[in-house]
Amino acid sequence: MSAETEPRPYADPYVAGAGLGLVLLAAFVIMGRGLGASGAFSSSAAGLVAAASPARAAASPFFARYLTGDGPWQEWLLFEIAGVAIGGFLSALAARRLRFAIERGPRVPRRARMVLAIAGGAIMGTGAVLARGCTSGLALTGGALLAAGSWLFMIAAFASAYLLAPLLRRAWR
Amino acid sequence: MNTAVAPLFELGAFGPRGALVVAVAIGIAFGWALERAGLGNARKLAAQFYLTDLTVFKVMFSAIVTAMLGAYWLSRLGVLDLSRVYVPETYLLPQLAGGLLFGAGFVIAGLCPGTSCVAAATGRGDGAGVMIGMFCGVLGTGLAFGPLRHFYDSTARGALTLPQILRIPYGVAVCAVVVMALVAFRFAERLERR
Amino acid sequence: MPLRRALAVLAALGGLLAAFAGSPYRAQHATLDVERAAAAIAREEDHITAVELAEWIHDRKPELRIIDLRTAKEFDDYHLPRSERVPIEALFGSARGGPARLGPTASLRPGETIVLISDGGAHAAQAWVLLQALGFRHVYFLRGGLGEWLDDVMNPTIAADASPQAIAEFQRVSALSRYFGGVPRVIDKGAEASQRRASGDRVLRETPSSESGTTPAVDVIRRRGC
Repeated sequence: MSAETEPRPYADPYVAGAGLGLVLLAAFVIMGRGLGASGAFSSSAAGLVAAASPARAAASPFFARYLTGDGPWQEWLLFEIAGVAIGGFLSALAARRLRFAIERGPRVPRRARMVLAIAGGAIMGTGAVLARGCTSGLALTGGALLAAGSWLFMIAAFASAYLLAPLLRRAWR
Repeated sequence: MNTAVAPLFELGAFGPRGALVVAVAIGIAFGWALERAGLGNARKLAAQFYLTDLTVFKVMFSAIVTAMLGAYWLSRLGVLDLSRVYVPETYLLPQLAGGLLFGAGFVIAGLCPGTSCVAAATGRGDGAGVMIGMFCGVLGTGLAFGPLRHFYDSTARGALTLPQILRIPYGVAVCAVVVMALVAFRFAERLERR
Repeated sequence: MPLRRALAVLAALGGLLAAFAGSPYRAQHATLDVERAAAAIAREEDHITAVELAEWIHDRKPELRIIDLRTAKEFDDYHLPRSERVPIEALFGSARGGPARLGPTASLRPGETIVLISDGGAHAAQAWVLLQALGFRHVYFLRGGLGEWLDDVMNPTIAADASPQAIAEFQRVSALSRYFGGVPRVIDKGAEASQRRASGDRVLRETPSSESGTTPAVDVIRRRGC
């Protein structure tokens, strides 16, 4: 493999972190709100349910919140998350890190990794609904604004991840 | 006297259509930063939980410190009206329970909601898997929301902040977070070198 | 890594100075656009009548939030359909060192249409001003408070010898009234006078009277069979 096609190394974590912090600050300054991710999932889920069965969507107070105003498909976070995908793609393209692959431990079958990914995603989804946010919307955004619930969420999430991690060590071997 | 010019949207600099354009632009920068740091790669995120690569922690806390200091000083200098920036509301028990569940899902999936989008956009199948799972989780929970509703709204504390709980000035809390982060970074470097 | 070092120094400096620089939340004292608020009051865009509110509820106006500022007991005794109780101090929940914004129970969004209700209307009007200061624009208070609702929607009356125009209007209101379980009545002059006196009593007792077991206001409500 020549140097021209070799993926470039990742950026320094502190510099990348400071950059991410400036993006978050820009969101505060321009929009008066922080970043987010799980809200985009909630909004599109609400939109899907509403399209399939308006009565069903209206019956869930959780979905109903996303169906007011301009509707679930005009949700700010949905556009933001589309931007995230574009930005991630462009960055990976520039750094030659685009690759069709399934990231997994060397001895882990693809199917097992995909099952874990989907199952983990579903559990995170439930957690994000209950907590009203995820790592972006609650932990990062609220963390920077010193919101009590955000720090509680962060501590709880990391504690539970570290407690569970030893059981899942095989998934990355 | 109010000299603040920001938040621009809250003060009426542009409308809802413009906000969506801004959303895409901020999203692009967000996705770019996550990918640059390597957070589109599930193996790198998982390594955080085995203490072999603390990138997640370093990126997250440098971002929090940067944005916190930026927001604090822009407000102190009168540029940003921080009271118009939305502070995520605190719901003690739901956020504790949600955090525990979320952390479990995080370590199982190896990606969080935001990074799964980056992973998927850069061709990683597991990223798409996490997104599908996440969507199903939100959908399922939303449909079965009835019995959860009471719990979901319990122990509400509003836009409560750490300095309010600790009864210390806001600036002191900012300072404490910075000091904690710097000490933790030092510790993280040592841990990785082992 | 010189860049790392520079970032660390910058953060340490910003953090240490912050310890002595106080709170970034100036807007504990939120700013009120006085001109704008005065104009809204002059144009009578600050309040709605009970009948208008009844129409909004009946027509299921989207994004309508009806905030009842009365005490829990008063609320339990009688409240408007679709209304939620938020004590005025909880509406603006937050102590020092934090953002002056809505309290936990309210979670109002600026896009929503907010109608404030208190017993006689005074507290609702005051909350209207406070919400203006926080930047909420689609806020109204029920002009005559709960009393107006009880008089004009739940117990609309008309004199037997009213003009045809008034009678037409009364029929429209009567339909609304029945939707809410009210009792429209046609009455003669003498009965109307006593009716008015009863409602006058209640308005006088707008100030908190919750020390006593049952408040007079509640008694009035009970008397009317709501």
